[in-house]
Amino acid sequence: MAGLRASLAWRAGMLCERGFRDMTNQPTEEKTRSAIALILRYGSLASTLVMALGLLLILVRGAVATPGSDLPILPRMLLPRLVHFDPLAITESGILLLLLTPIFRIIVAAVSFGLERNYRYVWISLGVLAVIFGSIGFAMK
Amino acid sequence: MELTWLLLIELVVLGVVAGGVGSLTGIGGGLVITPVLTLVFGIPIHQAIGTSLCCVIATSSGAAASYVEHRLSDIRLGMTLELATTVGAVTGSLVAALLSREALAVLFSFLLTYAGATMVRRSLEAEAVVLEEAEPYQTKRLPLGLCGSGAAGVISGMLGVGGGVVKVPLMFLAMGVPFKVATATSNFMIGVTAAASAFIYYTRGDVRPLVTAPAAVGVYLGAALGSRLMRRTPSRWLIMLFSFIMFYFAVVMVWKSFHGGFAR
Repeated sequence: MAGLRASLAWRAGMLCERGFRDMTNQPTEEKTRSAIALILRYGSLASTLVMALGLLLILVRGAVATPGSDLPILPRMLLPRLVHFDPLAITESGILLLLLTPIFRIIVAAVSFGLERNYRYVWISLGVLAVIFGSIGFAMK
Repeated sequence: MELTWLLLIELVVLGVVAGGVGSLTGIGGGLVITPVLTLVFGIPIHQAIGTSLCCVIATSSGAAASYVEHRLSDIRLGMTLELATTVGAVTGSLVAALLSREALAVLFSFLLTYAGATMVRRSLEAEAVVLEEAEPYQTKRLPLGLCGSGAAGVISGMLGVGGGVVKVPLMFLAMGVPFKVATATSNFMIGVTAAASAFIYYTRGDVRPLVTAPAAVGVYLGAALGSRLMRRTPSRWLIMLFSFIMFYFAVVMVWKSFHGGFAR
């Protein structure tokens, strides 16, 4: 009798747990989706605004008189020039922000899949990141 | 190149047109940016492709955000195929550095012709992507999908387009994914595909800020306008017009590759 009661209680517990998991799984995937959408939407908006600001400053200040100024700035030179509010550096960081938006998106996806305990997709996301960072490293050499 | 108000406005307008066409027809704006930059603005084709890759990110991000929110993009399938498509994109952008301007232009005109033909065919069938959940489906032939996505990545990295012209039919016809999910998932993948190769173009100096930034700002505006103002499918004659412009660009690019005339 006690055994039957224990087994029933265990089954009820399993059912509850499954129901609970179903309830929590749904919102987690929803959260993953809204986090990814958020990054994509505001990443591209922010980079567009930064690029537009830089371009307007270039035209207003006429900062493009020197030859070779249309060449991209080296990333390590970017921060010192940003500190001085260099319009070209602002424009360029807008472009970099645009290029980084998809990468932020992968990082957010990896973290979200981790919270969902969906480890297969955590590894897949990390794999995509590894390919991109590997190619950046290779290209910088 | 010196940035003047006139040049800025011209580049922004180019971006708005490319972004608008991209979001209206479902064919990425990259197919418009590269030919116009090389043929009209006289910009070297490698730099035009670098610019185009950045524009592809700008145009796909906004649309991808709403596809993801409306549960249309298959995030898991997209992330899995991204493994192959990024490897392809990196390979493609390394190969592009070895190719001459003329060879790239000829390859690009093949892609233009193919995409133009796809647009004509699709306009005759006219199936709009509606923002509502799709019926359940089972993904088939994942290995084939991975190979195809790799090939789409190579095309994207080499020619500066999103690669949707390959990915959508691949997922729809070969993998059993519903058409609108295929479109939305392809769009979801395009940003990462383009970013993987854009960084290589960037480190090579082929992303010129004064050309890229105005075009990208324009593309962002154009894509937003295109999707906000015109929810309905564009009229058939508009699609026909754009595809004929693409055929025209293809012919001019082949002509120029054999008769010289590309900027160095």
